[in-house]
Amino acid sequence: MLEALGIGALVLAVLSVLFLVALVLRRTSLARAERRRNELEARLRPLALALVDGDEVEERELSAEERAILAEAIGRLSRSVSGEARERIGEYFAGTEAYTAEVGALRDHRAWRRATAAYRLGDMGCPEAVPAILRRLDDRDPDARAAAARSLGRLAAPEAAEPLVHTLVSGTVPRAIAFRALLDIGPGTLPVLRTLVHDPDQDVRASAIELLGWLGDASDDSAVIEGVGDPAAEVRARAAGALGRLASADGADVLTRALDDRIYFVRLHAARALGQVGEHAAIPALVRQAREDRFEAARAAAEALARIDPDALLAAADEPGAGPHLHEAADLLRV
Amino acid sequence: MSWFHTLAIALATITLAYFAALNVVYLAFTAIAWRDLNRHLRARGHAPDDEIFSSPVTPPVSVLVPAYNEEPTIVESVRSLLGLRYPLHEVIVVNDGSSDATLGRLRESFDLVPVRKALRVLLPTAPIRGVYVSRRHHHLWVVDKENGGKADALNAAVNTSRYPYVLAIDADAILEEDSLLRVVRPVVAEPDVVVATGGIVRIANGCRIDHGRVYDVRLPRSRLATLQVLEYFRAFLIGRVGWSRMNALLIISGAFGLFRRSLVETVGGYSNDTVGEDIELVVRLHRHLRERGERYRIEFVPDPVCWTEAPETMGQLSRQRRRWHRGLGETLWRHRGVAANRRYGTLGWAAVPYFLLFEFLGPLVEVLGVPAILLWWLAGGLSGVFLAGFLVVAILLGVLLSLAALTLEEHSFRRHRDGREIARLIGFSFVENVGYRQIVAFWRFLGFFDLVRGRRDWGEMRRKGFSTMPEAPLPPA
Repeated sequence: MLEALGIGALVLAVLSVLFLVALVLRRTSLARAERRRNELEARLRPLALALVDGDEVEERELSAEERAILAEAIGRLSRSVSGEARERIGEYFAGTEAYTAEVGALRDHRAWRRATAAYRLGDMGCPEAVPAILRRLDDRDPDARAAAARSLGRLAAPEAAEPLVHTLVSGTVPRAIAFRALLDIGPGTLPVLRTLVHDPDQDVRASAIELLGWLGDASDDSAVIEGVGDPAAEVRARAAGALGRLASADGADVLTRALDDRIYFVRLHAARALGQVGEHAAIPALVRQAREDRFEAARAAAEALARIDPDALLAAADEPGAGPHLHEAADLLRV
Repeated sequence: MSWFHTLAIALATITLAYFAALNVVYLAFTAIAWRDLNRHLRARGHAPDDEIFSSPVTPPVSVLVPAYNEEPTIVESVRSLLGLRYPLHEVIVVNDGSSDATLGRLRESFDLVPVRKALRVLLPTAPIRGVYVSRRHHHLWVVDKENGGKADALNAAVNTSRYPYVLAIDADAILEEDSLLRVVRPVVAEPDVVVATGGIVRIANGCRIDHGRVYDVRLPRSRLATLQVLEYFRAFLIGRVGWSRMNALLIISGAFGLFRRSLVETVGGYSNDTVGEDIELVVRLHRHLRERGERYRIEFVPDPVCWTEAPETMGQLSRQRRRWHRGLGETLWRHRGVAANRRYGTLGWAAVPYFLLFEFLGPLVEVLGVPAILLWWLAGGLSGVFLAGFLVVAILLGVLLSLAALTLEEHSFRRHRDGREIARLIGFSFVENVGYRQIVAFWRFLGFFDLVRGRRDWGEMRRKGFSTMPEAPLPPA
């Protein structure tokens, strides 16, 4: 027993010393690496900015370490630029060692490395990486799929629109990220979205219509209006929201009728959309909804009234039995 | 052999076995934490924070701040919350019948005006006196209500909240700018599965804080608060990471926890008759979801940081630890049916038994066991060499665990930039095992009796206030 305690104490003492040494070494090495990195970044930053701005730069040989840090700096800059500056970044990276390494890493056996590669390729801005990144949307690792979706958005690749809508619907990529990517692709997604609004799958229809609300134009009104009459409540709700964002005056009647939908969240979205459209004819229906409907739908109606006609809201709030939502909206209006 | 001698031997044997088992668990958790934090660090290279921030479908969040006599810190805390980098959030402060000037400070600092707010009444609470909104920050609400306790205040905040997720935080806490964005990450990744997440809580004493932001991370000057820094490292970087991995996380700190609002409402909100309302809610969520066979996760996220003020006097620390222990006991008693029940999976066969045997009954074993070992030794049943060996091993294990937690912190987040502070923490890793841990065990032992006596109060925590904390001079421009 005593012997066991002795051995235990010895093992623990050795382990403690090892941790102590690891701690000191790690701290020292990281501090040194950080210092070196900061120095290099400060030195290379003007070069990175010049390359992105398209200025003339003095040709000089860079070490492998410098090239890596320059690539990272340019990659970071690419997150805050667009247009020609972004194209120049793509041209800078095309065919470079850094680009080739990341394309190769998309097939790495380590999931985190594939995800990092997919992410970095988005920052590098090379459109030729799109097919390889697209394949990562089916990666078995969720992080790699999310990074791929994000980069396809950064690269504004229209060919990624349809697969991205499907990842959005299936949930294989987080909704927030797939949605952002589709918005980043922009009008390039419209041809696909206009087809998908008629998809037999109601979830696909709902997402396509919602995105049309963000990206579409007046020519999309009719498809979205049709969505407000869809048999699926989720589609009706998203279509109502989309009409509000499109600020479609043609949709005002449909939206007013949707205030009588049997599903409360459709009524909620319809009320919100009417507020965005500014439909005066819907005021009586909105007052009724604000007084009588379920909590969230009533609140949406009161807020819509505040947007459409503040005076009508104040008058409705002063009536007996106006209810808490009209009171709240009126008080907030006064604030 | 006398009955006294037999009892001493039994207690000493239990203590030794308990000690060995506890440390095996701790070491296993340390290994899990190393693995998980490494994975987390690698994921930082491709974290889609900017996309989450700029996505129009990122779920909006209501930040709930129960406040009772928080006059010194409330304004700084609210400022930090208003400045969070997040696409859409609201801040709801509930003044829970404070007897100080908490409400007055809020009114004056944020230009509050009364409004007739529509409230859901899903969770019963003490009467609401009034609701205010800020003229300058339209997403800041203040609910003034009669005193009903922290859980009651949180329930009032849930009733007031607008968004599908609620983030409960302490009124003396300061969140880093990106903390909300980061704690939401698992929810964004799996909205149908992740129902709650919690971030890391760090000690703000000694840090330089201005306008609700931590500018310079420093160790506290107080030795007592510095010892708690190490404790927090162990609890969060080792304990929480390990339990989260097993989807059996029982504690999401009341100082910083995100929950799906509809689920909180479904299970009846925060419980008013326990001082451990945070742990009780999490256990109730686990039970509710497991009883229905639903797929879910409750996750700990190690990088979003919530800074909080730690007690700096023995009296305050003792009250806090006694209260925590009582809260744990109340929760375990209420949910005793979960222990060793296979129906509840890892919660039933691992987490609840662990918390019952090691966290709740641990102080009992420590406080009674150590004297028993000494008695055994005095009675001649134990050799002096063995006793010395046992004490050395016990201390070395404690040191090892603290050093492991400190190394984890250095390996991952490196918040303390000054090497001298790390040297100080290494020193404290040794010091805390002789005296401090035993005192804390004694306080928790007293918490056990508070529970048995049916004590219900919270005790008082006096805040110094962030702005009065020692400040380092500004670095030269």
